[in-house]
Amino acid sequence: MIKFENVTKVYKGDVVALKDANCDIQKGEFVFLVGTTGSGKSTMIRLLNKQIEPQAGRIFVAGKDIGELSSWKVPYLRRNMGCVFQDFKLLSNKTVYENVAFALEVIGRPKHVVKTQVPAILELVGLASKQGNYPDELSGGEQQRVSIARAFVNRPLILLADEPTGNLDQATSVGIMRLLDRINRTGTTVVMATHSRDIVNTMRRRVIELDRGSIVRDQQRGVYE
Amino acid sequence: MALNTDYVVRETGTNLFRNFGLTIASIITVMIALVLVGVSVLIRTGLDQATAQWQGGIELIIFMEPNIQPAQRQALQQSLEKNPEVKRYQYVSKKEAFDDFKRLFKNQPEMIDAVNADILPTSYKVVPVNPDIASIKAMRELYQDRAGVYQVVSADDTIRTMQSLFGFLSVMCFVVAFAGMAAAIVLIFNTIRMAMFARRREIEVMKLVGASNWFIRIPFMLEGLIQGLVGSALAVGSIYLFNSLLGNRLEKRGIELLADFVVPTGDLTSLSVLLVIGGVAVAMICSAVAASFYLDV
Repeated sequence: MIKFENVTKVYKGDVVALKDANCDIQKGEFVFLVGTTGSGKSTMIRLLNKQIEPQAGRIFVAGKDIGELSSWKVPYLRRNMGCVFQDFKLLSNKTVYENVAFALEVIGRPKHVVKTQVPAILELVGLASKQGNYPDELSGGEQQRVSIARAFVNRPLILLADEPTGNLDQATSVGIMRLLDRINRTGTTVVMATHSRDIVNTMRRRVIELDRGSIVRDQQRGVYE
Repeated sequence: MALNTDYVVRETGTNLFRNFGLTIASIITVMIALVLVGVSVLIRTGLDQATAQWQGGIELIIFMEPNIQPAQRQALQQSLEKNPEVKRYQYVSKKEAFDDFKRLFKNQPEMIDAVNADILPTSYKVVPVNPDIASIKAMRELYQDRAGVYQVVSADDTIRTMQSLFGFLSVMCFVVAFAGMAAAIVLIFNTIRMAMFARRREIEVMKLVGASNWFIRIPFMLEGLIQGLVGSALAVGSIYLFNSLLGNRLEKRGIELLADFVVPTGDLTSLSVLLVIGGVAVAMICSAVAASFYLDV
């Protein structure tokens, strides 16, 4: 589903974020990207949805080299990739329902699709009763659930999560992980960057460890270390 | 791409009202710039109408008797040919005179109906080497008493003053209009930038969930289009009002020479269409460029 082939990314000022990275992620896998801050986890995620371009190497998504994708096709790539962030990126002037519906509206989904999909996904994340609330009326965990609902409402093939539990306490994080696990069980490939030792050690999924831009460990059913 | 009309209408409306002050400023600037373009064109048209006979340096028109003998005309033409003071001259036949007449009186069809080519005199239009008053006066006297000549008329000072004054005015209007249009472009550009900045979080989310760039741009382009449309509509309204007020006023005072400055409705309609197309095109291109420019927020 995802393949990195000798990918190198250097930011301005010769900051090497990713150095000759290689990895192959199968459809339906759940992968943790671990490593210290600045090790290149977020860079991998941002390369995947083409927010940034690599200096060298090739990245394949669903068999296609995304480096060869013309710029007008990038939105279609992103429609197959849900994104969840540490800071949720919810729109504060829209309700829970509107935030999720927005993701469908802006890719031109017809109204009847919005009307059936949004309540279903809010039910899935356990927020059906809060669909009329605004983000600042919700707890951090609830906000992250909205953000996951928005990322998943279009049923993407891949879900990218960049430290989704970074702002949450442990009990809340467990709830979020259960939700991501459930999404993964529907066949969606999940790639999640994280700092949380507990989560990685509890889940026992594939772990890719990065250190100063290099992949130093790639382990099935791994631990954080 | 399926475009959700509800979405586009809602977003465009929100944008217009979020920056209400800036929106109004852009609209007014577009309007002022287009009014000035319009007035400049109208002054030109009016001036051309009012001084239609006196263009291309023609200072003297020698009207001949209806029953002038061919020999007399021949002699007159030879004299013009030999006169070192004459730079150029042009013979106007009855038919050409009637064409001119129709052009001059196109606003008064009853005049055209009352006249036919036969009753109009033939004439020579003369361009002198020196267009100063003294030499024109001398030439006028020279030809006035020749056999077969009915009358010699010259463009008097009033017309010349009017030509230079209104010509200058029209150029000035155009210059100011140009500056106004530049201001309008900058303002629209800025309005779109502000709107996009205000919505940068939404744009970020839209890009992440895979909205196409066109989808993101369209509400902003429509915002520019509406500003251009409203601005140019107001400009056209003002110009119509100005033209009819000018007409009323001139009629009341009975200033005949200036009456030609009132432009007929046909000309005004085509001018209006051009102004609206121009205004909308400039505003829309400008907002499209701005929207693309600031899409990487």
